[in-house]
This record gives sequence, structure tokens and C-alpha cells, in this order.
Amino acid sequence: MPATTLQGLAPSRAIARPDIPHATRGRFRRIKTSLTCLMLGIYFLTPWLRWERGEGLPGQAVLFDLPGRRLMVFGLEFWPQDLPIAVGMMIFGAMALFFATTLAGRVWCGFACPQTVWSDLFFAVDRLIVRLVGKGASERRLRTVAWLLIALATGVGFTGYFIDAPTLPGLLLTGRAPAIAYATVLVLTGTTWLLAAYARERVCLHMCPWPRFQAALLDRQSLVVTYQHGRGEPRGRRRTPLRPDLALHGFGELQSTGPAIGPAPAAPRLMGLVAEAVAFSALAPSPSLRGDCIDCTRCVTVCPTGVDIRRGLQMGCIGCGLCIDACNEVMARLDRPEGLIRFDVESAPRRSFLAPPRVDWLRPKALAFGLAALLALGFSGYGMATLAQVSVHAEPQRNPPFVQLSDGSVRNDYALRLAHRRAGLARVALHAEGLNGALLRLGTQDLPAAEVVRVAIGSDRTLDERLLVVLPARAAPSGRQDFTVVVREAETGEELARIPTYFWGPER
Amino acid sequence: MAAPERDPLTGYATTGHEWDGIKELTTPIPHWWVTVFLGSCLVALLYMWLFPSFATTSGVFKGTLGWTSEGQFAEEMAAGRAAQADWRHQLAQTPLDQVESHPDLRRFAIAGGRAAFNENCAPCHGVGAGGQIGQFPALVDDDWLWGGSLAAIQQTVRFGIRSGHEETRDSMMPAFGEMLSAAEIDSIADYVLTLSDPAAVVTRASLPGAELFAANCAACHGATGEGSRDFGAPRLDDAIWLYGGTRDAIRHQIATPRMGMMPAFAGKLDDDTIRMLALYVHSLGGGER
Repeated sequence: MPATTLQGLAPSRAIARPDIPHATRGRFRRIKTSLTCLMLGIYFLTPWLRWERGEGLPGQAVLFDLPGRRLMVFGLEFWPQDLPIAVGMMIFGAMALFFATTLAGRVWCGFACPQTVWSDLFFAVDRLIVRLVGKGASERRLRTVAWLLIALATGVGFTGYFIDAPTLPGLLLTGRAPAIAYATVLVLTGTTWLLAAYARERVCLHMCPWPRFQAALLDRQSLVVTYQHGRGEPRGRRRTPLRPDLALHGFGELQSTGPAIGPAPAAPRLMGLVAEAVAFSALAPSPSLRGDCIDCTRCVTVCPTGVDIRRGLQMGCIGCGLCIDACNEVMARLDRPEGLIRFDVESAPRRSFLAPPRVDWLRPKALAFGLAALLALGFSGYGMATLAQVSVHAEPQRNPPFVQLSDGSVRNDYALRLAHRRAGLARVALHAEGLNGALLRLGTQDLPAAEVVRVAIGSDRTLDERLLVVLPARAAPSGRQDFTVVVREAETGEELARIPTYFWGPER
Repeated sequence: MAAPERDPLTGYATTGHEWDGIKELTTPIPHWWVTVFLGSCLVALLYMWLFPSFATTSGVFKGTLGWTSEGQFAEEMAAGRAAQADWRHQLAQTPLDQVESHPDLRRFAIAGGRAAFNENCAPCHGVGAGGQIGQFPALVDDDWLWGGSLAAIQQTVRFGIRSGHEETRDSMMPAFGEMLSAAEIDSIADYVLTLSDPAAVVTRASLPGAELFAANCAACHGATGEGSRDFGAPRLDDAIWLYGGTRDAIRHQIATPRMGMMPAFAGKLDDDTIRMLALYVHSLGGGER
């Protein structure tokens, strides 16, 4: 794989970027590994969760039922008209992302983004294969097979969100799955292979819009992966003597007592400033003294996007912290304190290189994003809690506007459409409120008209009927009279819906 | 015209054209553009060769594929029919009065019936089957001239009314204007008006028209004006008057009756469609067992 770097400037010395980023061990690697496992687990296992909804309804906990135009999420069922809830969730997602980015840079990119999760998986697989068979033709063949298998598993796994997941593999294997299922598997396999197996970090660097506007969200208070110039520069070989200010102030001893107890504040801070001045003035090719960076380039070779963090925050940095782990390993081996590269803020005045970054968590910008996220979440939550369980429309049939019956009474017809998502609703009762003497009948029912009409709802949970409302000649209005069709649960009498509509009578 | 040369500043050749010392550079259209353009021309020519494309002195060049928009329409219609074949077969196999117990089949039939109704019946009976007073009967009410059961509706649609079809529903009301005097017609009209008035049940027997009605009208319209569907004789004891319920309109109808005519649809529409129509009309609110 060719090296990819966004930087036009050449690094201080040419760094050969490996085909596969090197492995690291440490705190961030552990977080990343657990998150990768967690995310993959969630993505792959969710379709297999079951949720009993009753007869005639899918038993899959999370199902995008496209033919039925509904989304099942555990106990909730969403219809296309519930789109505002989805919009609310998207706004929540965006605001939560902005919130996290303002506080801690691109942690989403580094740890949770599916692109990162799958890239991380593919990097791990590639490293494993190299460890097993070494480099060469067999490695390339094995790698191709592994990539395709993972991509295929992703394709099949995600198609399970759209169709009953447990039966899907069998259907696919025996050729009985619907054509669209094969197409979905094919497309998802293809995109997984292309984006996650083949393109990997190039997606983050060149395709993803997110890095482009992180600049608008980060500020001097954001926690981002930072190389401490003042401590690391000038770089030198390990044998080069350490800068006296670093050696003098006993970083080595500090490691054992921990970074919380710093040295006396004034002098190190002064020395820190001196050190930074030294760092920027002493970029000579072979300095006589060096900072803590021994230019081992581990931070570059472990980076999944191949950036050199020592040149400062840049677009390619996804904030995964793997370079921190790599550098800490090196520092430990050199018996130097950890944290040459660490999550840090730019602006905090520091007492020493070891003092933990002081983060102002209560910045107005972060608070505003957090508040917006909570508002959006509250809006969506309210929407979910108050989803209309029954949707009814009664559309007056205006051609003809009314029907004159042989006994002189007047009839109005309505196209009644009912759909519900309420467990255990089998029968509803309809009556006309505000229309004295009105008798109701359904087009399919061979029953005399009655004040309350009861109708069973089938397993498709919909009703498409012609509702006939009859008024005796005396009671019929001249012209329009408004009234309300009230839909109740047939057994309990609980009111399910009210549909305001009107009755039209012959003008007298 | 000067000899073509290479422009030292841009590196392009000149065309040799020169005006007042200003020379024209050769900056040809990019190669890819020319290729695409020529390719498009080729596709256009191929298209002209395959499809009807230009008029000739004796008509139109029909293209080598033999494609026509009418042919495509017919194909698409046939494909639509083929897609319905299963449902139509089911409908043909199910007795009309049992379709109701198959909700999906009923939905299919009524949707098809609605389409066929709007195409064939709506010009007279109206898009909502509301009819037109004085012209065509409403099909949404509970008053039927020839019967409102599924079978009766199916027969009416199939063979029509006074349509000339050999199985048509047929009847004729005599023009009483030639048989009775104007005064007699007046008294019959007065009597008929009382038939739909429940308050007049007792008093109407003493009206002068009562005897005339019994002698001339009751044979078809019934002793109390209840009508007879065998003859398509309308009820006279209800609130629905196809040709108007005023005294004048009734007099007019007795003297010079108007009788509706409906064409037979057997032969025009296939049997499935007629069944769908019957189911649709029956579902409009007035359907009878």
C-alpha cells in the first residue's frame, strides 16, 4: 500500500511508512480494541436479537421492514410519518458529535466510526497474516481471501437488518432469498471491500467531510493529541546527551512519585520556556543536546493514517491515541516519564511538562452543543413516548356530496383508512359525535346501520373501508354540519382517535 | 496570410492568420471532446437506423427494430394483464357472493371495478356513481330499478337495459297521454304524490286518482306503489324520483314517459371486468343480498 500523507512539507527526515501500521500496546490500544469488539458485536449481533410482538408481526428486535414501510426497534414501531423523530435523532447525533469534538477532538473518528472500526479490524488481520506466513505471494493470497470473507460477512450481517436475519443465511445459500437480498449483500460486500479493506485511511483523508470542518469546532481548549515540542525538541539520537533542563529537574524521579506532584512551580516553567526557545532555535541537523524525542518514528509507523504528530495537529489525525501508546512504550524503555505525546490542550499555561492538562470543561461552546444535543434528544424522546398508536383518516366522498335514500334519510360516505401499531388491538368501535341521530354502517358489513359500529381488524393491522353515515330526513342539516368520528377500543372503550369531519345535507 | 510558426510565449503553433500584428494561435478542441462528440454522432446515427426517425417521400422510415409506441403500449398492457392473471383467475373461480369473504380478492376486484367504472360508466352515472337527476339513476342509494343484488347488477351490466341485446332487460311504460284525459292524469299524479306520504295512508283511498291508479298503474307499479323489479317499474312510495318528484314532472312522466337506456357491456368488456364492476357498484352503499 503506498504511503498517504496530506502534508506538503517534507518531514524532518524521510520516514518510511510501513504497509501496515505497526502494532502497539497501551491504554489507548486497549480502549480501541474493546470499542472495536463492542461496535462489531453490536453491529453483527443486533439483527439476531428477538422481540416477541405477537402473531403476524416480525419477531426481530431491530428490523427495517422496507416492504411494510416500517422500522421496528424493540417495542417501538416507526412509520414514514414519524420522520421528525429520525430528524431529531440525527440532530442529536450531530450535536453530540460537535460536543465531543469541541471537548476532545476527533474521538469519534479515532474510536467509534465504522470506517475506523473496520479499518482497525483489517489492519489487525493483515498483521496477523504477516505474522503467520511472512510477506510474499502467499501472504497476498491469504489477505485477499480474508478481506473478501470479512466483507462478505459484513454484507450478509447487515442485510440481516432488512430481512429476518436467522433465516437469511439459509435462504441465501439455497438460492431462495429475494433478488434484492442478493443485491444488498453484493453492494454491502463490495463497499466494505472497497472502503474498509482497500481504501481504509484514504477514506478518512480524502473522502470524509468530517475532518474538513473539525477546524471550525476545535479551539485552543480542546483536548487533542499533542506532541510537547518544548519537551521533545531538539530531536536527537539516543546517545546524544539530554538537555540539562530536562535531566536537571529530575523527570526520572518524578515518574515514581507521579505527575500530580510537580516540582516547584516557578523554575520549571521558566525552564520550560527556555526549553521551547532552545527547541525552535536548535533544529540543527546534529544538535549537541537533545530533548526527550529520540526520533524513533514509532509515532508515525503506528499511525493508522500515517501522520507525523510531531508537526502539530493536522487534518489526517483521527485522534485515536495510538501514537501516545507507542511513545509511552519508548519513554518507559528510556526510563523517561510518559506523556511526551498526550491528549492536551493548546492554551493552558503549564507548570511543567508533566502537569496534567487543565481543561475548562464548562466552555460556552461545549455547553451550547451539549444543550442542543439534549434538546434534540428530549424532542425525539418525547416523540417516541407519544407516538400515535392508531392513525385514522375519514375522507368525505364528495361525488355525490350526499345520497338521498328511499325513506327520505340522507347518507354521507367517507373513505375510512385505519392503521395501528398497538399490541392486542383486535376490534374498534366507531361513532359520530355531534351528529344527533346518526347511524353508521361499513360498506362491507351486512348489518343494519347503528349508532356504534364495531369492526374487527385483521392481522395486517389496517382497515380500508367505506363508512356510511345516515341521518333521518328531519335531522339532516341544510348544507354543512361539522362533527367528529370517534374511534374507541371496542372492549375497553378507550378513545383511540378523533377525526373532525363534516356531514353535508340537501339545501332547503 | 503569414506562414504558420510556433508562438514563443505559449508554445502553441499559430494558424498563420494575422491581423495588425495579432496572430491567431492554434488551440484545438481537446481530443477527448472531439472523441465524445463523434461518438455521440455515431450513437445518433445508430439510433436513427434502429428507430422510426425521419419522413420519406412515401411515408416514414420505420426503423429496423420495428418499434412503435402503440406496440410498446400494447406490450405493457399485456404485461400488466399477465401480472394480474393469478388474481383474475381466482376471481373467475370464486362465486360473486363469496368474494366478500376474501378481503384481498375483494380489494383487487373493487380496485379494478373502480377503474372500469370510471372508464365505462361514469359518463352517465357520474364518477362517484351519484347519477344525474332527470337523466341517470344514482347507484349509491338503496333504490334499484332492476335489483341491487350482485347477480342483478351483474346481469344489468352484462346485457344492459333496452339495449337491443337479445337478453336485455326490457319493459315499456305506455304513453298515457294518448289514453287518458288531462284531468285523469292530474288526478293520478295527485294520488301518486300521496303514496310516499305516510300520513295519507287512510285518506288517499278516497282520492279520485285511486281507482284510476289501480286500473292503469298498479299492474306494474304495485297496488301501493311499491314498484316491481321484474319490469324495472320504479317504486312510487319513496323519496327518490329519477325524473323529478314535482306534480308537473309526474304528470309529464305519465303522459309521455321517459325510459332510460343502458348499453350491454357483454362483448365490450370481458367477463372478469363485468364481475369487478358488479362488486364495485355493490360496494357503494346500496348493495343488497
